[in-house]
This record gives sequence, structure tokens and C-alpha cells, in this order.
Amino acid sequence: MHGENTQLHAERPQPICRMVFYTFISSEGEISLLVVVVDVNPIWWGQHAQSEPEFTLSKCLDAVMVMGNAHMAMTRTNQLAVIAAHCQDSHFLYPSKRLKGNDDTSSSRDGKYELLSVTNNLIAEEIRDIMSKTELTGNSTDTLLAGSLAKALCYINRISKEVGVAQEIKSRILVIKAADDCALQYMNFMNVIFAAQKQNILIDACVLDSDSGLLQQACDITGGLYLKIPQKVALAQYLLWVFLPDSEQRSLLVLPPPAHVDYRAACFCHRTLIEIGYVCSVCLSIFCNFSPICTTCETAFKIQLPQMVKPKKKKPKLPA
Amino acid sequence: MASLSEEVLLVVKKVRQKKQDGTLYLMAERIAWGPEGKDRFTVSHSYSDIRCQKISPDGKAKVQLQLVLHTGESTTFHFANESTSRKDWEAAKELLQQLLPKFKKKANKELEEKNKMLQEDPVLFQLYKDLVVSQVISAEEFWANRLGGINNGESAACENKQEVGISGAFLADIRPQTDGCNGLRYNLTADIIESIFRTYPAVKQKYKENVPHNLTEKEFWTRFFQSHYFHRDRISTGTQDIFSECARQDEKGLKSLVTQGVKNPMVDLLSLEDKTLDEGYGISSALPSTSHASRTVKESSNFAIIKRFNHHSAMVLAAGSRKRDVPADQASETSSTDGNSRDSDFFQPPLKKVKLQEAIEYEDLQQENRPKTVALNLKKSDRYAHGPVPLQSQQYTTSQDIINSVNYIKHEMSNYKPNLTQVLSSAAASSAIAALSPGGVLMQQVAQQAINQMVPTEIQAELKHLYVAAGELLRHFWTCFPVNTAFLEEKLTGHLECMLQAAYSKFHIWQTRRMMRKT
Repeated sequence: MHGENTQLHAERPQPICRMVFYTFISSEGEISLLVVVVDVNPIWWGQHAQSEPEFTLSKCLDAVMVMGNAHMAMTRTNQLAVIAAHCQDSHFLYPSKRLKGNDDTSSSRDGKYELLSVTNNLIAEEIRDIMSKTELTGNSTDTLLAGSLAKALCYINRISKEVGVAQEIKSRILVIKAADDCALQYMNFMNVIFAAQKQNILIDACVLDSDSGLLQQACDITGGLYLKIPQKVALAQYLLWVFLPDSEQRSLLVLPPPAHVDYRAACFCHRTLIEIGYVCSVCLSIFCNFSPICTTCETAFKIQLPQMVKPKKKKPKLPA
Repeated sequence: MASLSEEVLLVVKKVRQKKQDGTLYLMAERIAWGPEGKDRFTVSHSYSDIRCQKISPDGKAKVQLQLVLHTGESTTFHFANESTSRKDWEAAKELLQQLLPKFKKKANKELEEKNKMLQEDPVLFQLYKDLVVSQVISAEEFWANRLGGINNGESAACENKQEVGISGAFLADIRPQTDGCNGLRYNLTADIIESIFRTYPAVKQKYKENVPHNLTEKEFWTRFFQSHYFHRDRISTGTQDIFSECARQDEKGLKSLVTQGVKNPMVDLLSLEDKTLDEGYGISSALPSTSHASRTVKESSNFAIIKRFNHHSAMVLAAGSRKRDVPADQASETSSTDGNSRDSDFFQPPLKKVKLQEAIEYEDLQQENRPKTVALNLKKSDRYAHGPVPLQSQQYTTSQDIINSVNYIKHEMSNYKPNLTQVLSSAAASSAIAALSPGGVLMQQVAQQAINQMVPTEIQAELKHLYVAAGELLRHFWTCFPVNTAFLEEKLTGHLECMLQAAYSKFHIWQTRRMMRKT
């Protein structure tokens, strides 16, 4: 680590330089909680590992660990949590239940900050455990991302309550996404996004493979950053450069601009995205074509035909 | 000259003024006197100008009435009619007594309003000072526009003001204090006096009649307290007290109250009688007779006290509900007993029904009368739960593929050990940085200038020096760990600490110097 870092120092001082100076400037006592949600869908990773052997799940997790260590090393009060989103369930990699079990963790051999070595070991143990217990049911091949995000929000909520009212805590969620979006999770996803927005929690997204409309919306609504990485092998660099600074520091940096989000609605009949459509005034369902009866609420609509102008007949005046 | 529309309230003939015979006219808004035989008035004063009237004492032969104006001058009228002078004089005096207060208030009120306006609005006050005091415009012109609002708003304001009621215990506030040698001091405040006048209009009448002609105020009140009228045991003997008449009036009033009774059908006073259950348990004994003769002394004094209390309470209530501006109605004060008569007016059949209904029904227990709505009937509500279908074509995987992938990944992760020193190669890092710098692949839309183009080169150089120095210090710091030897420990706690402090202060100095240079 040292060798590599000094090289980086000499060539490109900028990225890490910023971190050093910002530790002096950041406010005292403010807790910053970073929750990383890693997509460990075994099907996607297994497929891609075969086609791209230089970037595997191990490498991805290493990069995540580097970023986590950097986050915790920046300020003593920073906290970290890592959640693995599997297709069966979502699992906390750190902090895990094993933390309380092993009090006699071997002291780190290479002089690392103890917290970091404990963290890394725990994450490794947990992910090995999860992967070994992977069972194929065949039904679900999609990552349970909405559930993991919900768990992340609950964890943040719990930590905020534990910390108390006097302490300020700023939280954000970083999603590292590998597999594709699941359309079935749409409703849950939107609920999670709005809940995060209410709690002022940023959702950042680092997308490895294909663009995700849901995550784009999430980042746009909560004020986070969405980035699709061109090179997966340089994941660590992208994480450290773009996603490590918190929202206050981001305003002082030059970062990739926000992506254009497609907010078009989908029609209820074909599920295609439309720009102009018809909306039922009773149930607010959207259609791409007009139909006289709304299929959702069975309200009948009348169209006004152009009226024929009738000649007015004068009423005969009644005799006084 | 008298206008035709003026209402003449009283005409008194044979009134001399300045040794001239004439007639005195009392109109609605002014008093005027014209000499005998002539049509016009030589003397005319509007009531608002009159400050007070003075009357000659009773004993004197000459019956005179003097009007003192606000300006200080006075006019004297001599009632010279032999037979009816006394009567005329009294009639005139009474009328004036009633009319003067009305107008007095009006005049004062205007002045008060003006003062208030000037005080509330400093701009207006300044304007007034600048214009009127220095005589640029006259006061009348100044107030001409502004007072228009006052006269209209006055009545409205009066209506909106809540009237202050009378405390039932006001008589108790007059606590007599022993004055040393067998005397009693009664403390009377203006509030108490007002309460007494409002509750007992008879006393007010007496006050008006006697003060300031016959008695001074102090004497009046002394007599009042000394009189049996005030005292507990009111024995209405035929003394020459001025208040004995009041006592008789009170008795009359009380009797009329009792005969009127309570008209409110919801209140049944007769059921509140004391019923004792001793002596026979249920056998009704004869009601105690209420005639005066058969009572013991103690009973009669109790009876008197209770009667007085009842009367006092009735008067307080009546005074509270009576409107202020009915001074002419004083003669009927006890018989009106406003509370009761109003009650009887109120309890006409429809209102009684409403009252009964209110007592029986509760609003929130009844059926709600909300406007009728149509219920929403959704047949296919799961449509709302689905988002748009992703535009990319789904990748289809065979089950064999799935099994292979899962096995592969399982195998890979079973031997997973974090290898954090080989995470990033410098080539990958530099290409990523290039992509993230302005102009790179990801930053095509950023219009911002890079900081290194905005910051002059000398500052960049200085900053680079500082940074490298800080990096060197950090390297020293991290090499101290793990703290195995005493040397390292000492280096860490002592040496390095001051080095870091020095570095920080150096940076701080540079920063302030730079900022000073800018400004």
C-alpha cells in the first residue's frame, strides 16, 4: 500500500491532498455515516467473471474495502456500514453479529489501525459465508436492491436515534450496482427514495454495467451523484475521487455533472414511456390512447360532440 | 334665532335676567332666554358650552339659577314668578341636570379623541406642530377631514367596548378603620362610588339633588354611612334621614321583585326549600309562618339580613345588565329588574323548545351530514405498482448458465482474502483521473474552469511546497507505528507533536497572508 501510494503522491497529488486539508476544515464532532450497498448477485458476477477475469467480485470488494478504510480513517467519528444485496436476501457485512462474538481477534500484524483490520476481516468472513450459503431457487434472479436500501435506511435511523438529539449525524448511501433493474421492485424503490429524501439522506450510485433508470431517479431526487464507470478495473479510483467526499465537500470540487433523468410516465395499458397521454380524472391512471371507459375504475367519459346551432324560435308574447 | 326643527323641552315664563323680564326656553341642544315681548333670544348657550350650573340655596328668597360656561363667564336667571317660582326653578334645574352631562361628555370626548390621535401617530403630531402651531392652517381645517371618522366610529367603538360589570362585593371594600378616638374611617374610591351609584340609583338621585347645594360630598357620604339605610339592622322608623326614602323605595322594589317571580321555566326556585327530615321522618310539619309578628327577635334580624342580601344581589345584577345611557329611566329602576323581564321575554315558546332540545341532544352523537360522495372503485389496482418496462431488451439466461455462474462464484469467493495492496494499478488510476478531469470522458458538460487555470502559478507553487512538507511529516508520523521501542514512543509524543504544530501554524500564516494580499 505504501509503495503504491507514494507513487501516486508524486504523480498526482490532487486527490489525496484534498482529504488532508479538509480534515482541518470539517466541523468538530459531526458524525458522518456511510452505508455501502454492494450488489453481489452471484449470477451476474459469475457470468461476468468468466468473460472478464481481471475484474471479479473479489476485486470489487477490495475496492469497497479501500474506500471504507479511507472513510473511517478521515475522521475519528466517521462510521461505516456495508450491506450485501443478494438475490435471496440482503445481509449486513459490517457491522455484523460476529463482532460481539470474537473478542480475541488477533492483533493486526502489519501495524494497521485496529478498526480497519477488524472491519476488513469481518467483511471478508461474512461474504465468504454468504456466498457459500447461496441456494438456487430458480425463481428470482434479480437483486433485492429495494430491500437492501430499506435496510440501510433503517440502520441509519437506528444510529441517529442511538446517537441522540444533540449530536449531528449526516448519512449517505452508496449503491454499487452490477445487475439490471427489476421492474417488480418499482413501488418499493420509489417509497425508499422518498423516505430517504424526507430524512435528508443522499443516495449515490456507482453503476458498473448498464444504466438504471430507478437509480438515476433516486440520485436526482435525493441530491446524490450517479456515475456509470467506463473502466471497472479503476473502481477504487472512482470511488475515492467521486464518492468519498461528503455533500459539503462536493460543492467545492469539480465532479461529473448530473445525468439527464428520464421522468416520462409509462402508460397503464402497454407500459411504454409516453410524453403525451390521457389521464382519467377519477383514478389518475394514464393511457396512451383515448377510450370511452377507463379500464381501471370503469368511469364513463363523454366527449362533447360539436353542437349544432339551432335557430332560435321567438316566443309569442302573452297578451297583457 | 330658534330654528323650527328645535324641540322645546321646557318654557319658563317670568324669568329675569339682568333685571329684565323674559322667558326661558330649554331646547334639545341649548338653553335660551328672550326678553318679554320680543321674539329673538338675547342669551343662548348650547349645553356643551356650559360647564356647570349653580343654584341658590333653599332658604333664600330669591330663586336663582346660574350657568357657568367653560370660558368662565356666567349668566344668572332669576325666577320671579310669585306662585310657581319654586316649581319652575326645580323643573328647570332637573332638566339641566339631566341634559348637561350628556353634552359634557361629547365635548370632552372630542378633545380626548384629538389628543389620542396626536399621541398615537407621531407623524400626525409633527404635522400638527408644524402646521397648526405655527399657524399655517387653523386647527379647524386640520381636524375637519380627520374628525369625520371619529364621529362615525365613535358609536361603533362604544358598542364594541365591553362594559365593566360591578363587583358584587364592592361594599365589602369599604372597610372601616378605627380612627383612634372612637371614630371610623371609611375609604371610598371613585370605583366604589361609581358602583354604589350604578347599583342603587336612588342614592345617585339623592346625591345629585343634594350635592353641591345642600351638602358637600364628604358630608353626604358621612350621612350615608351614619344612616340606618346603610346599616345592617334597617329599622325604617320615621327619621328625618334623607335616606329613609331610599329605604322605602327599596322595600317597594323588593316586593315587586318577589311578585314578578322568575319566569324562566327551566328554573324551579320553589323546590329549593329547606326540608328537614327529623321529627317524624316524612311527616310534613307546618311551614313556618312568614308574618312579622310571630317571629323571634333573632329570626327577624336574620330575615332582615337575608332580605338585604337578596336585594343587593338583585340590584347588582340589574345594574350590570342595564345599559349605560338610560339616565331618564331612573325612576323605574327597581321595577324594571332587567334580568327577569328579559328572561320572560326570552322564554317564548320557540326559544324554550330550542333550549330543551339543546339539553337533550348531543351534536357529535348524531349522524354526520356530510355531502354524499361516490366511492372509488378500482378494478385493477396493481397497475399503479408497476413502473415502466425497461427499454433494454432482457437478457435471457438458460438455467444451465445460471448454475454455472453460481458455482463459479462460489468457488471464487470461498478462497477470498482481501488483498488491498493490489487494488489499483497506476495506469488504471491515471486513466480514471483523466476521465474525471475537465475535458475528460465523463466531464464533457462541465463548463467550469479547472482551478489550476484560475489560480496563479506562484500560489500553486507555494501550495505545492506546503503540501510536500505536510506529506513528509505524515510519513514520519506513520512510520512511528507500531510503537515498539522507547525511541519511537518519545519521537511520537514529543518531537512529532511540535513538528505538526509548526507545520499547521506555517500553513495558517501563509493562508492569512494570502487573504490579506487579496483584500
